[in-house]
Amino acid sequence: MDPSLKEFSLDSMAALVIGAETPVGRAAAIALAEAGAKVLLASQEPGTEKQLKEAAKAAGASGVKTAIRVQDATLRADLSATADLAVKELGGLSILVNALDSPFFGPANAADDATFERVIEANLKTVWMACQEGGRVMLQRGGGVIVNITSVAAERGVPNGSLYCAAKAGVLNLTRALALEWARKNIRVNAIEAGWLDEPRSPAVRKDEFSERLLKYLPDNRLVKPEELAGPLLYLVSPAAGFVTGESIAVDGGLLCRV
Amino acid sequence: MILEKLRLEGKVAIITGAGRGLGRAMAVRFAQAGADVVAAARTRKQLDETAEAVRATGRKCLVVPTDVTRSEQVNAMAEATVKEFGRIDILVNNAGGGEESLGKRIEQITDAEWRRGIDTNLSSQFYACRAVVPHMVRQNRGKIINVASGYGLRGGKHNYMYACAKGGVIQLTRSMALTYAQNNIQTNCIVPGIFPHNEEMMQFFKGGKFIPIGRPGDDAEIAPLAIFLASELSDHMNGELVIIDGGGLAGGITPTGVVPQLQS
Repeated sequence: MDPSLKEFSLDSMAALVIGAETPVGRAAAIALAEAGAKVLLASQEPGTEKQLKEAAKAAGASGVKTAIRVQDATLRADLSATADLAVKELGGLSILVNALDSPFFGPANAADDATFERVIEANLKTVWMACQEGGRVMLQRGGGVIVNITSVAAERGVPNGSLYCAAKAGVLNLTRALALEWARKNIRVNAIEAGWLDEPRSPAVRKDEFSERLLKYLPDNRLVKPEELAGPLLYLVSPAAGFVTGESIAVDGGLLCRV
Repeated sequence: MILEKLRLEGKVAIITGAGRGLGRAMAVRFAQAGADVVAAARTRKQLDETAEAVRATGRKCLVVPTDVTRSEQVNAMAEATVKEFGRIDILVNNAGGGEESLGKRIEQITDAEWRRGIDTNLSSQFYACRAVVPHMVRQNRGKIINVASGYGLRGGKHNYMYACAKGGVIQLTRSMALTYAQNNIQTNCIVPGIFPHNEEMMQFFKGGKFIPIGRPGDDAEIAPLAIFLASELSDHMNGELVIIDGGGLAGGITPTGVVPQLQS
C-alpha cells in the first residue's frame, strides 16, 4: 500500500457502530468497512432489523466481516451485551462509534418532565452508557478509540433546542472528560460535530420558513450529507490520529466560523 | 475505496517552511500521496535537499527561495507555481518560528522584535492566502491549511507575539473559510500542541509528562493530518481547527496526574 495511506488503514480492526440504522451510522459503518475494519452494526432503537441488514450488506460489499445486533440503546443490559458481542463476533473491540441522535425541537415552556427525560436519555445517557460499556471492554483489552457523533448544537444555542443543545453539549464535554480520564490507558476519545444534516429526521429538511432561511444562512448554502462525516471519522479512528484525543471536529461547511 | 480519496494525485501543493523539519516531512509525504510540490523557504541549500527527497518519490518539485515576510516574494512564489504547473491546488502555511521575544518580559521586547515575529508568523500566512486565492477562485477549487498552535487558543507566560500571531492565524482561517465557501475553497487550521524538534526542547518540556496522553507529539504525526485536510475526505470541513495535542486543550482546569474525588 502507498505509504501515505498506510496509517489511515483500519485493516482487520474490530469496530462497533451504535446507531447504524440511522443515515449517519450507516455511512460510518460503510466507511470503516471500506478502510478495512470488521464491523458490528448495532441499532439505536429496536424494530430496525431491516435497516441494519441493508446497512450491513452495503458495508460488507468491501469484503470485510460484518454482523448486526438489534438493540435498544437506552438499555444498559443491551449495550453491555453488544460490547461483549463485538469481541465474540469480531475478535476484539478497537473502534466504537456512537452515532446516537434523536432530534427534538420545541418550546421550553411546553416541554414536560417526561420530555426532558426522553430527550436527555436518547441523546446523552445512551452515549454515556455506550462509552462506559465500550470503555469497559477496551480497558480490559488494552485500549481502543471512541468517536461520539454530536452536533454543532453542542457549541451554540438554538431556540426551541434547549434540551437538544444541552444533551449535545453534554456529549461534547463527556468526550473531553473521558479523553483525559483514559488518556494514559490507551483509549482515545474524540467527537464529530455534525452541521445541519440532510437526513429525514432533521428539522432542516422540512419545507418551512426555518429550512428556507437556514439554507440561505449556511456559508455554502447546503446541508451536510451523512457521508461527509465519514472522512473526519476515518481520520480520528485511524492510527494517523494517535496524538489526537479530547478533540471535536466540526463538519459544517464553515457554519461555526460565523457565529 | 475511501482510503484512495486521501490520494493527492496530480495536485499541486505549495508548502512554506519546506527547507527542514516539519515542512520537509510534509513535502515528502505530499509527494508520496501523489502531489507535485512547490518548496518555499529562505535557504536554497535546504530547499534543494527537500527537492531531492521529493523527486526520489517520482514527483516534481519546484524550488522557490522565498522570504515569507516579504509580500512581493510571496506573490512571486505563487506566480512561479502557476507558471510551472498552471495551477495551485493546495497551500500549506507552515513557515513560522523565530520566537526571539519568547520568555522576555513585556517591557524588554522591542518594536522590531514584535514586528519581526508578527511578520513571520501571521503576516506571512496572510500574504500567502492573498497570493493564492485568485488562482483557487479561478479553479473553483482549493485547499488552504494554516498551521497555528495551542498558544493561539491559550495564554502563555511571557508569550505575547507568538500567542497573538497564532491567534491571528486562527481568525484568518475562519474569515477565509466564510468568504470563500462559495468558491469551493476550504481553509482549515492545524493546531499542534507540544512538538519538541530536538533534545533540548524535549528536556524543556520535561518529556511531555504534563500532557494528558503522557508524551509530546512527534513531527511525523502532523503530516497525515495535513494530507487529510488537503484531500477530498475533508471537503465539508471549512474554517475548522484540528487540535493535535494529546488532550491538552480538552482539559487544563486541573493539573495533569491528579484527579478530584468526591463521591458522598
